[in-house]
Amino acid sequence: MAEQFVGKASEFKDGERQIIRIGEDEIGVFRHAGEFYAYSNFCLHQGGPACEGLTIARVIEPLREDKTSMGLHFHETDMNFVCPWHGYEYDMKTGAHIADPRVKLRKYDVVRKGDEVYVVA
Amino acid sequence: MSSPKALSRAPVKGKTDGAKPAVGKTVASKPSAKKPAKAAVSDDASPTPAQKAAFLKAMAAGVKLNTAASRSLVKKKGSPFAAEAPKPTPKVEVLRRIPAPVKVVDTPESKTALALAALIEASIDARELGKVQPHAQQALVAALCKLYAAHAEAGERFDILGQRAATVAATDVMVMCGALLKAVDLQVFELGMWQSWSSG
Ligand code: FES
Repeated sequence: MAEQFVGKASEFKDGERQIIRIGEDEIGVFRHAGEFYAYSNFCLHQGGPACEGLTIARVIEPLREDKTSMGLHFHETDMNFVCPWHGYEYDMKTGAHIADPRVKLRKYDVVRKGDEVYVVA
Repeated sequence: MSSPKALSRAPVKGKTDGAKPAVGKTVASKPSAKKPAKAAVSDDASPTPAQKAAFLKAMAAGVKLNTAASRSLVKKKGSPFAAEAPKPTPKVEVLRRIPAPVKVVDTPESKTALALAALIEASIDARELGKVQPHAQQALVAALCKLYAAHAEAGERFDILGQRAATVAATDVMVMCGALLKAVDLQVFELGMWQSWSSG
């Protein structure tokens, strides 16, 4: 495992993504709300490009006290990304599948040294 | 210099060509006829590990690092040069850059509309449906209908719900669409015909 330079933080806009290859691994590097996240671009469903689909706020369905639904709403902070092949949805912060958190994309550590961004792979 | 593969095979070739009686002996003790090259080398002709190492050293003396020849040498099992092999540093290759979603332009009117939308959603959550009275809803729906159509006619087509489609139930959409068609006395088949004639 070594730190691999992937770019400068100042050139990586918030909400932007990069799909990179390090050796054999294809990795999606996200910048969301100022933080960097990196996951394997290999979807756990059927190997689709998991990091290349829609990014969308988590949809929640709050319940009233009597357990009736208040309808569907966007979560204010939680963001997901969706595999474009069949719609597996992963949590931006953990890489876990939102319906079954035991299913997780491989996560890579991202290290920032000043303006430089490194992925540990 | 010939390739390392060719060189390493050389002693085997020499033995097979020049020493036929030895072949007979070895084959007799190992009846497998599928691997004649291996069987052709008699025990006393096999190079010792030290000889192998010396051979590889001699080969490597003239081989430059980071060439196909050097890589094939250090890859060999038990090669004395394996440790000397330069560790390949994985290269980062940028395959694709996916830009951030387009930033929305917030005009004062948009801000007011967003605040109103939030207020309406809050009233639904709190089951205070009387907060926005029917006459106000009619005004809003009519205005939005005209606004969306005007944009479409101007060629500015956009997704009517965008990502908010995830928060609207399909039933709600059907109820609303049905009510809109009924309000202007349209049948579903008329909508279908119009869609098949136009790009709407
Ligand atoms: S391959 Fe990703 S959802 Fe099917």
